Amino acid sequence: MSDSRFPLPVLGDEKSSASVEPEVVSAPQSEATTVPDHGYHKSYWRSLEQKLNPEKYKSLNAREFPPNYFDVPKGVDRREFIGLLGASMALAGLTACSEKPVEPILAYTKNPEHMVVGDPLHYATAWSLRGVGTGLLVTAREGRPVKVEGNPEHPVNKGSTGAYDQALTISLYDPKRGQHVRRTASATKPGDIVTASWRTLREQLVTQGAEWAKDGGEGLRFLMEPSSSPSGGDLREKVLKRFPKAKFYAHAQLNHDNAIQGAELAFGTALHPSYALEDADVVVALDADLLEPLPENLGATRGWGERRSELSKLNRVYAIESRLSITGASADQRLRLKPSEIEGFARALLAELGGSVAGLNGLSAQPGRTLSDTEQKWVKAIARDLAGKPSRSLVAVGETQPPVVHAIAYAINSALGNVGTTLQLHPVLTHEKYSSVGTWYPELKEDVDAGKVKALVITAWNPVYASPFDLDVAGLIKKVPLSIYLGSHDDETAKVATWYLPAQHTLETWGDTRAVDGTASIIQPLIRPLFDGQSEHDLLSAFLDAPEQTAYDRLRAFWSGKVGLGFDAKWETWLSTGLIDGQTVPAQRPALNARGLSQALATAPAQGSGVELAFVPDYRVFDGRFANVTWLQEMPDPITKLTWDNAAMMSPGMAKKLGVDRESVIAISVNGQTLEAPVLPVPGYADDFIALPVGYGRELFPSGLPLGGVLGNPVNGGTGFNAYALQTSAALGFVSGAQVKAAGKTYDLALTQDHWTMEGREVSFSQTLAEFKKEPAVEESRGPLPTLLAPVVYEGYQWAMGVDTNRCTGCSACVVACVAENNIPVVGKHQIHRFNREMHWMRIDRYFAGDENEPEVINQPMMCQHCEAAPCEYVCPVNATTTSDEGLNEMVYNRCIGTRYCSNNCPYKVRRFNYLHWNGEKPALEQMAMNPDVTVRARGVMEKCTYCVQRIERTRIKARTEGRPIKEGEIVTACQQACPTHAISFGTLSDQNSETLAWHKDERRYDVLHELNTRPRTAYLMRVTNPNPELA
Amino acid sequence: MALFNRWTNTVSRLSVVVLFGTPVVLISLLMLWVRTPYGTKQYREVLQPIQFDHRHHVSDEGIECRYCHTTVDKSPSAGIPSTTVCMSCHAQIWSKSPYLQMVREAYFTDRPIQWRRVHNLPDYVYFNHSIHVNKGVGCVTCHGRVDEMPAVNQVAPLTMGWCVECHRHPEPNLRPLEYITSMTWKPNGDPETVGAELAKKYNVHTRTSCTTCHR
Repeated sequence: MSDSRFPLPVLGDEKSSASVEPEVVSAPQSEATTVPDHGYHKSYWRSLEQKLNPEKYKSLNAREFPPNYFDVPKGVDRREFIGLLGASMALAGLTACSEKPVEPILAYTKNPEHMVVGDPLHYATAWSLRGVGTGLLVTAREGRPVKVEGNPEHPVNKGSTGAYDQALTISLYDPKRGQHVRRTASATKPGDIVTASWRTLREQLVTQGAEWAKDGGEGLRFLMEPSSSPSGGDLREKVLKRFPKAKFYAHAQLNHDNAIQGAELAFGTALHPSYALEDADVVVALDADLLEPLPENLGATRGWGERRSELSKLNRVYAIESRLSITGASADQRLRLKPSEIEGFARALLAELGGSVAGLNGLSAQPGRTLSDTEQKWVKAIARDLAGKPSRSLVAVGETQPPVVHAIAYAINSALGNVGTTLQLHPVLTHEKYSSVGTWYPELKEDVDAGKVKALVITAWNPVYASPFDLDVAGLIKKVPLSIYLGSHDDETAKVATWYLPAQHTLETWGDTRAVDGTASIIQPLIRPLFDGQSEHDLLSAFLDAPEQTAYDRLRAFWSGKVGLGFDAKWETWLSTGLIDGQTVPAQRPALNARGLSQALATAPAQGSGVELAFVPDYRVFDGRFANVTWLQEMPDPITKLTWDNAAMMSPGMAKKLGVDRESVIAISVNGQTLEAPVLPVPGYADDFIALPVGYGRELFPSGLPLGGVLGNPVNGGTGFNAYALQTSAALGFVSGAQVKAAGKTYDLALTQDHWTMEGREVSFSQTLAEFKKEPAVEESRGPLPTLLAPVVYEGYQWAMGVDTNRCTGCSACVVACVAENNIPVVGKHQIHRFNREMHWMRIDRYFAGDENEPEVINQPMMCQHCEAAPCEYVCPVNATTTSDEGLNEMVYNRCIGTRYCSNNCPYKVRRFNYLHWNGEKPALEQMAMNPDVTVRARGVMEKCTYCVQRIERTRIKARTEGRPIKEGEIVTACQQACPTHAISFGTLSDQNSETLAWHKDERRYDVLHELNTRPRTAYLMRVTNPNPELA
Repeated sequence: MALFNRWTNTVSRLSVVVLFGTPVVLISLLMLWVRTPYGTKQYREVLQPIQFDHRHHVSDEGIECRYCHTTVDKSPSAGIPSTTVCMSCHAQIWSKSPYLQMVREAYFTDRPIQWRRVHNLPDYVYFNHSIHVNKGVGCVTCHGRVDEMPAVNQVAPLTMGWCVECHRHPEPNLRPLEYITSMTWKPNGDPETVGAELAKKYNVHTRTSCTTCHR
């Protein structure tokens, strides 16, 4: 077999010696090769530059590091540096002469109950995002939380978490959190700020409460964060009982209102959908990001993962969307449509199904536009697929689509019998049904302008920033004589409110919440409030005519009232398992209101023209509330691999048409406003469409400043462009008719997609099911290779990992989990952009294949492979990296002298070097986020994934003191624990029953860069898709 | 006429020896220095803010190690007792003694006593007490005769070489679990044989891979 497909020159093979350079264009291999033909000639590319301009790409990326990578930081010239070097070498020996200062031991005066210094305690708690809860299990060390995990007992997320959940600890220890209560002396002169206290405010509210009660609380308005908290609901009832004329509203810029309104259209009742993807054989996602790891989707994501785990279980996912979302990237087939065109597609699908499915033939649905040939083919094929799988199919619609599209999907699902099986419809559990700005702003504005509103309480996150530009929320708040804002940061809303109360972090709060299916959990705090924070319930209780209670007492009183006898025992169980029994609400199976729906469908859909602009949630900051969470800012976006910024994302064709390229700034004008944003061409986007993630561009936080700073300097650039400046309340999801033109500037974007390149070698594989069955592409990428080395016999445990690229959605929860567990430093935009120095031990390489407009996507998590014949080990001059007797590739930080030969030799490029003192000079608060089990690395040492060796050692010691072997599944690495789809498996190959061994023997198994014979312990499972052959 | 006098040969040879020998000697001396008690900080009595005398508490009163150092078999850290443990006796005994003034103050003002650490391993070493104690390494093996120390001092060098020596050959240092805290236990026969039996009984498999301690 010729080795011409391997880019390394092989001795004695004349053919390959001519082609040493890796091939990067997607041309088939030359005929001269004798590589077995398995119909597989794909070449993978990571960025458009690699695909479209391979020569330039090769020259720019031929070196492992960008130019200037080894530059000395500014301020020291070469001569000085050498001089200093000489002097410091001479003085180096003297450091041994100084005595280490005595380390004090501060033992507890009274040891807290259960606490053992050195051992973690785990607490079951929960948190909620927009009123939807997730069960959490938080690890606390010495009285402070250091790591967030999912609660394995929770029926919805079953132990998995998304990236937002993993970053909860760093947001708790954020020095920029609101720390002090502030009161402006008068609402119209924001310059006069008086530091005040919660006590003063509370007394004021209690006194004024008596006055307000006289007219039934007519002047009271509450703008709350959407919440499903049972005790919060009770407080709300009590406040309304005391002030019957007060009004409660909810505000969240990214919300489910369209889905709920769609349910009202289709079924006549307000319902909220969730999806049981494990039961769905066919899934049609219409602009729906089902796999986004939000609390409401974690259960569905796990179900989807199950269906991709084995070839016999493969389902089929169609994604019809405008931007490339992670759902679309993981789908079997994708169709690009502009957002406004999706309604036409849905209507056509309804009409097509009406022919074959009873219950739909009463509904006529004019598409309102002519569908293209491709679309028609798709409609027919999808309809056939759906009709063939009644009650095992699903049509899901995204939150940005108007209610009528949701209603159409509900109708289809209802007729196909999916309601109750793959589609679960839940009653709306948040206290207010709707939370979009249009449901409260007009009414509130009217009341405020009429002078009726005397007090406005805001607990919604930052409505001044997170609202469309055409609604003057700031002006509204300023007109109210008393406005109280309870917020996490001293942000835009805090600047205009009369009172600013720092909000307690969820990890400091007593409360409760419900998941999407009603499962209730107690939120218990892991630490006393670090600052002067109050919780939402504390604030609401100030409006009651009742004696003051602590949050704990109030919560207990509420639940004890519901339970009655035996409450104390139940309370203990609830706290220990994290679940309150008996709170699940059964999913409903309402009948389709065909007549109502027909009426709604009678109106022709609006036709978009010109460029459409969509306001999409960002995978990193969501709607902007996580903007100061450095771990999330540094996490590369799953699709674009962009860090620290957002950008105007568009298709490559559109960028070419406009004459712009990546990083060129364009001016987007729509609704009378203009915003300048840099361009980022992304494969797979619909043409004439721009997606602008919301949540960036805030003036409040200096651009890109990570916590603690980097070398004390603020990082230039970063934290993006404000999409809300273009958004109107009439069109929250997307708007058409945008004008786009080049602004003639550029803006640096810190993208990690070309970092640590594999240089065109075949490292990830994807085939359709039919192709795979004929011949798996990975046949040559597994199995033993001849070697001169004597084989090492491993006795005892053999740690190994499996990564299933078929299940990986690229959501990057694992990346953030690894950062949290291993004290990985944040480096900031400048270091990532100019020097490729992001420190993530685990990266997710995202490969495209095929046409740049219809790409196939593979997500491949890449971390240290723990090779049995590791190339990094034999080049270390000081033996700082070794293989343990269990196969783990160990990294010993104190021995490392920083030659970096190991990372040079690593073919996977998974080693990270601390070029600068990233972990130095951290404020004490941020130090609390560190995991004490893992060394905090200083400048000059190499680090890499350790298979969470601290967890392995802890479990080993526990097992050995108990005198038993380590059980299968007892050691869970951080990445494995976070992953919503269970794409990562960790265990020992010595146990015949271990799942990891099963994965290593799987038919889809391969080793990355197998030909180098490094014998990695991490096995990958290739991606196998199940597209519809009619639509190929 | 010779260009150089003969004695310059000696100078030349001597200077080569000095040139190469100096760094070798210097470095060897430094390496030796850190292995001496000056470098390892052995045998230095560390004065504590409160003169806690182990001789009195352990020898005279017969209080076992684990009464105060409670988590030695559960946690990586043996645990310095909280002030409550001190007060468990001293609220009744010597409750007005001026020597215990600081203890009472600490308890009632809820401010911890600032003990000074004696056995200090570098931060990059993750030592776990519980596994050692549960596998038969006695307290006195590493900490010496604490019951004879007026002020605790470090008797073991605590160098990596010293740890690894036992990890390579633990048998002579093992004892039955009932005698872990005994200060005077001696093996009944040859330490090697006794140790080997105990190693089998307690399933002792010492690890010498790097991440056993360095994570």
